[in-house]
Amino acid sequence: MKTYLIDDDHLAIFLARHLLQSEGFSNTICAFQSAEEALAELLTHEREGLPRVIFLDLNMPVMNGWQFLEALTPHADELRGHCHIYILTSSLALADLEKSKHYQLVDGLIHKPLDRSELRAIRARLEPGAGAS
Amino acid sequence: MPTRDQPAAQALFEHSAEAAFVLNPLGVYQQVTARFAQLLGQPAAQLVGSSFVASLDPAQARLHQHQLARAAAGAVVRYQAPVWGPAGPVEVEFQLLPPLAPGSACYGLAHPLAERLHLSTTLLERERQLSVVFDNLADVTFVLAVEPDGRFRFVFVNEAFYRTTGLLVSHVTGRYAEEIIPEPALSLVLGHYRQAVASGQRVMWQETSVYPNGQVTGEVSITPVHNELGECFQLVGVVHDLTKEKQVEEALRRSNERFRYALKATSDAIYDWNVADDTLYWGEGWAERFGYELTPQPAPLGQWAAAVHPDDQARVVEGRRQAITADAPLWEAEYRLRRADGAWASVLDRGYLLRTAEGRAVRMLGAIQDVTERERAAAQQRLLTQRLSRQNADLQQFGYIVSHNLRSPLANALGYADLLPSLPAGTPVFAEALQHLAATLRQFDQVVTDVNGILALRDEQAGYHPELVDVAAVCQLALLDLQEPLRACGGEFESHLPATLRLPGSRAYFHSIFHNLFSNAIKYRSEARALRLQVASHTSPTGEVTLTVRDNGRGFDQQRVGTDMFQLYRRFHHGPAGRGIGLFLVKTHVEAMGGRISVRSEVEVGTEFTLSFPMNYDADAL
Repeated sequence: MKTYLIDDDHLAIFLARHLLQSEGFSNTICAFQSAEEALAELLTHEREGLPRVIFLDLNMPVMNGWQFLEALTPHADELRGHCHIYILTSSLALADLEKSKHYQLVDGLIHKPLDRSELRAIRARLEPGAGAS
Repeated sequence: MPTRDQPAAQALFEHSAEAAFVLNPLGVYQQVTARFAQLLGQPAAQLVGSSFVASLDPAQARLHQHQLARAAAGAVVRYQAPVWGPAGPVEVEFQLLPPLAPGSACYGLAHPLAERLHLSTTLLERERQLSVVFDNLADVTFVLAVEPDGRFRFVFVNEAFYRTTGLLVSHVTGRYAEEIIPEPALSLVLGHYRQAVASGQRVMWQETSVYPNGQVTGEVSITPVHNELGECFQLVGVVHDLTKEKQVEEALRRSNERFRYALKATSDAIYDWNVADDTLYWGEGWAERFGYELTPQPAPLGQWAAAVHPDDQARVVEGRRQAITADAPLWEAEYRLRRADGAWASVLDRGYLLRTAEGRAVRMLGAIQDVTERERAAAQQRLLTQRLSRQNADLQQFGYIVSHNLRSPLANALGYADLLPSLPAGTPVFAEALQHLAATLRQFDQVVTDVNGILALRDEQAGYHPELVDVAAVCQLALLDLQEPLRACGGEFESHLPATLRLPGSRAYFHSIFHNLFSNAIKYRSEARALRLQVASHTSPTGEVTLTVRDNGRGFDQQRVGTDMFQLYRRFHHGPAGRGIGLFLVKTHVEAMGGRISVRSEVEVGTEFTLSFPMNYDADAL
């Protein structure tokens, strides 16, 4: 599964990348330390080129996770069903969880650190009956 | 009847079988019974208006004169004298009852002695007649027998006695005074009774007693009655009820007293505006509260009008005048009033208009209340509430940010602890992960250190005392620390701060502000051009001092950053350089000194921070 990692913290990206690799979750991993870059990249692709999963951090400079989601809203129709966005945040604030429910593109909110069981659950949901891709 | 017209009693009197008469204080007949007129052989109508003494035997004139004077002096007089009747001389016993009150009428009875023996039935009738007379008197009347042992027994009381005291006639008659009159009044009246007995003279006094019907205040007169031997055997008492007069008098006195104390209790300036004269009569509050002289009194309205704030003049002075023609009974205005010492007071002025029956306003009674303190307190309350709610919001934000930023490295550390065991030890990737774990723990430590520093800063602010700071000197000092990196990037610095500029605040805060702003400017300079950093100041006519720190650096998209750019851990540049704490500190310090900070920025043009400080800011104001 093609996967985007969007997080300004390179330590967090390193961690997520290794976990995804060791779990065989993704065949392609694209990491972005800026949401703007990720957005630009995402919008260049036709449907086939879109990532299946996006792990999105919230707390980032310049464009934060929410602003990224707002920027995607006009493109929601093209993305829906193909691109599954998971918020990956260190925040435990309930307000963030509540807010995430207002975005239809968001499939779930995961508290950092990302772990294996979480990844398996996502895969099970996206590829029912499938093994590692 | 002399003092109180009671026609029924009068008719009864005139047609009574008794020979009786009523004399005014001059000894002139006011009334006579038909029987008395008959005894003298003269028409009743002719007797009324003529002199008692002159109507009788001139040979007895001196006797009558003398006895009449005794009666007038208060004695019950009984004497005999010959009277020339239609059938010749008849021996008559005269009885004169003293006037019940000074200046009132004197009652008299005449009994032809020849008839006396067979008059036992008429004697009873006479008793009855007297009762009628007495019971129709509004004044309490009673007769006390002076007993040989010196005690006083009630032998007669009239209806008025009951009406006034609530004590039944049957209950009183035959009882001793000490059984009827309560202490402490008893001791007092017994003293007066004894005095009347001893002196043979009328005794008068005022007293207040408590009876079943309530408190009674009366003017009492006690007249001794003597027998032929000159011994006092009876006392005739009359009580003129003064309770009503006393009550009215007392109520008026209390009301006046209340008004006087109310005037003292109020700090308001009370006034009485005479519309026709256009003058104000001031209460003491005008002097006590606002410091004005109370002379002349009344003062022209213009004196007050001149003390009204110029901006309020038209509204208030005209408003008062227009109230005269308006229908409303009340006029009210809030305005600023100059005290005699020149200071301004906020006042609430309320006036009540007195109008004639035709509706013309003649006077306005009002009060000017000084609400300066109250308004000041309310303003402080508002300010305090504002500050509290801002601080509360800050704290909430602080809590959120801190938990977020504390959790962030912690989550990474947990992730690495989880990842490391799955990586083959000794490989480069294991070494890198281990390095990252160390880095993330250092981050964690940095956040804890920052939080500690910020909390210390808040504690520090609690003990903050402003001093006058030489801003230009502090600015140079802050620059000195950054001289090296500034030179390294080829930047230049210009200060337009006047050397004389002094601002109330903290030297350390100003240093921190300049240091953070300058190091940001260096950190986020544009790669495209050499850094130019400028500091300037401007003083507005109102005394507000504005400092500007401007650079030509990278800038940022202001719309995207929004209003919360001074928040803790808020970063608006990519890259690891900033922790997002510098501007938070700058803002905290500026606000601690009573200032405000704002920013304007444009991508790839530059950033300008504006810091405003009120010149006369007093940190201890709250």
